[in-house]
Amino acid sequence: MAENYISDSMLDMFLYETGQMIESLENIALEKQNDDGFDEASVNEIFRIMHTIKGSSGVMMYQNITMISHKLEDVFYYLRESKPTNVPHSELIGYMMDVASFITEECDKIKDGREPDGDCTELHGKIDEFLSMIKNDIKKSGSELPAENKYVEPTQFYIAPATNVSSHHFHIVVHYESGTEMANIRAYTMAFNLKDIAEDMYYLPEDIVSNPDTAKDILDDGFKVAIQTMSSEKEVLEIINRCVGIEKIDIKEVDESDFANLAGVKEEKTTLQYGGLVIDLDGPIPDSNNETAKAPEKEALTVQKTQPVNPLGDEKLEGKATDKLAELADKGKEKKAAEKPKGEKREVQRYISVNVNKMDELMDMIGELVISQAFVLQNPDLKIPGLDLTNFNKAAGQMSKITSDLQEIIMSMRMMPLANTFQKMNKIVFDVSRKLGKDIDLKIIGEETEMDKNIIEHISDPLMHLIRNAVDHGIESKADRLRAGKPEKGLIRLEAKNEGGKVWIIVKDDGAGMVKEKLIAKAKKQGLLNNRNEKDMTDKEIFNLVTLPGFSTNETVTEYSGRGVGMDVVVQNLTSVGGSLDIESEEGKGTTFTMKIPLTLAIVDGIVVSVGESKFVAATGNIQEFICVTNDMVIKEPDGGQGIMIRGECYPLIRLKEYFKLKDGIDDIEKGVLMIVEHEGRKAGLFIDKIYGEQEIVVKPLPPYINKVKGVSSCTQLGDGSISLIIDIAGIMKGA
Amino acid sequence: MKILIAEDDFASRKFMLRFLPKFGECDVTVDGMEAVDAFMMALEANEGYDLVCLDIMMPELDGYQVLKAIRDIEVERGIPEEKRAKVIMTTALNEGRNVTKAFELGCVAYAGKPIDQEKFESVLKKLGLVS
Repeated sequence: MAENYISDSMLDMFLYETGQMIESLENIALEKQNDDGFDEASVNEIFRIMHTIKGSSGVMMYQNITMISHKLEDVFYYLRESKPTNVPHSELIGYMMDVASFITEECDKIKDGREPDGDCTELHGKIDEFLSMIKNDIKKSGSELPAENKYVEPTQFYIAPATNVSSHHFHIVVHYESGTEMANIRAYTMAFNLKDIAEDMYYLPEDIVSNPDTAKDILDDGFKVAIQTMSSEKEVLEIINRCVGIEKIDIKEVDESDFANLAGVKEEKTTLQYGGLVIDLDGPIPDSNNETAKAPEKEALTVQKTQPVNPLGDEKLEGKATDKLAELADKGKEKKAAEKPKGEKREVQRYISVNVNKMDELMDMIGELVISQAFVLQNPDLKIPGLDLTNFNKAAGQMSKITSDLQEIIMSMRMMPLANTFQKMNKIVFDVSRKLGKDIDLKIIGEETEMDKNIIEHISDPLMHLIRNAVDHGIESKADRLRAGKPEKGLIRLEAKNEGGKVWIIVKDDGAGMVKEKLIAKAKKQGLLNNRNEKDMTDKEIFNLVTLPGFSTNETVTEYSGRGVGMDVVVQNLTSVGGSLDIESEEGKGTTFTMKIPLTLAIVDGIVVSVGESKFVAATGNIQEFICVTNDMVIKEPDGGQGIMIRGECYPLIRLKEYFKLKDGIDDIEKGVLMIVEHEGRKAGLFIDKIYGEQEIVVKPLPPYINKVKGVSSCTQLGDGSISLIIDIAGIMKGA
Repeated sequence: MKILIAEDDFASRKFMLRFLPKFGECDVTVDGMEAVDAFMMALEANEGYDLVCLDIMMPELDGYQVLKAIRDIEVERGIPEEKRAKVIMTTALNEGRNVTKAFELGCVAYAGKPIDQEKFESVLKKLGLVS
């Protein structure tokens, strides 16, 4: 969203460059945090980074950024010149990170269109102290201080345009008391007064000055004004109220996009031109056309302004003016069109950035293609006996290959390595552990693992949460660790790997672990156990208690965690992308969180099965095996439930016919098929009638009107065009 | 302080005239040619401008051309660098290359429209034009 606010490319450039440099600053700091000091190359690099930021922020007139970056540059200036040996390294790294966070924060403010007004004096003072300490050390060691690194004010400045983010767009309808004379002139007076505060404004009817007849219209329908202004609604009303004879004012704030659509458009033609113009100007203007596109704007403004100057109602002149305007706009467009190819030629790059929406659309289209391919290849017409399908099958094979290639390509286009997300965690561990006074190492494994971009976006928050939790609750304080005989430095392992069609992201700490009894006691206290007998609960279930909403074991609420919201949100986020969370913990040894996330969402392999007339699809990944069973393998449990004994193991037996309350279907267990499914280590047998075959299924969400059906997660379209429900195996097993 | 404003757009001109007179005496021109003429006249009368605010998109001569002309006139007359007029570009064209071009031509500041008055004033301070 933030990008939309900024139309200023100088600012863009500044933000982009500064962002990049701060990132590399952080990277250097994190890379070297365990060394004894910076090598010469890094010192030079950091000096250069701070120097550049200082310079550009000076030109952009962001004083606080200039000040703080100058101070840090200063430090590295002395490091570079005198090469002192006993610099407190970790302290320095801390300051670097502080400066980086400060500048990032300020840049975010600028991005949102706010003033970067952060106060850096405290940090500045600290770094200053730090610097004088280094200077003293240098003096003590006998070497001379290098010439002072003096701050030279830049000689040229860039004054960023006053941001119009805070601009309001109002639609105003003013009604005059009936019988008001010369309402048009009054309206114009009002419009004239408003002009002082307006950034952009237009009104209906338009020809109020030149056409006295409009007075009647104004009395009948009111005078409509659309205004874009920095002033508040109150200020606008104040100005309007200065005029006399007003009966009623309707004012409402509108979106920028609605600004051009002044309600109750009467003179369609002229408004359209204005409307079109406004849109044209507010819309993004491609780089190369900036100059030409702005030209009509200027002309347009002058035209607008000349209108009121002709009070004699010279329609001809006005017409001419509008014509000119339209002509200019056309000219601008023509030029745009003519310049475009040139622009394209210049931008020969290896990467292009594509709107994610378009990618999603393409993905959808390919999904549809897969379905319609199934329509063709499994068409009932082909089933007529005696047809010679040799050539058809050849062509069909070719087509299948291409569609599956297509699928692979679109998937790979959406795949991104997790590296970026993982790198962010580095900073979080560093920040949080420093503030909590813990010493923690983050070990990252498998950051090159790739995942669908959409999914990465969904897991970055949960992951952040898990990492924070691990730092805050997982790893004990230094003293506790020493007491427990562990190394003072805590270790968090962040690992990603591919495992059976899913990506596993594992966060493992070597901290205190969770105590089962404590969890149960806490859950009881919070009333979260739901009358379940704690003795029946598996370890997994006990640990999963922490994912219940409202559960927090930490007694104290810290800045980072412990508010009881969090783990449930983590799980929610994960399930929304079809993932799951496993928790394992061993008291005194640490806790492991494993997120299992499907590689991609949209197309999965499934097996089509039927119960009676109904067809269902089950994701192949969940299915362990199909097996025919006999009556003597069925075990009836006292509570009415059924189990089935297969090779000495007992699984809960779920008859889909009964589960979904279907009218038809096989009851005799020997005539149907048992499908053994697995979810999170638990297995169950689902009893079905028949297996139809395997198919690639395009997962579609259930339409809202049949949402939340138990046992069904989503739907898909089968080869014969019929809709089929996808069985929610996890959901069914929960009830088992 | 003497200020020259070159601005063809009425609204912007009005804005500048509301904002700048508190810093000094303002002259206004509506196109680039007139701005160069005014600049010459002031130099002839030996009371050159301290600050010149130039719009970029103007009829006759654009802001860049005016800026270049001003610098040429100053060079030709042998006016030392520190005594030359300070030029601030005021424009809605805030693309990087426009800014770079203006900086290369020797303006001291580049103000995007709508002009941020506070920052404008602080630049004037930094330039030593107002205290």
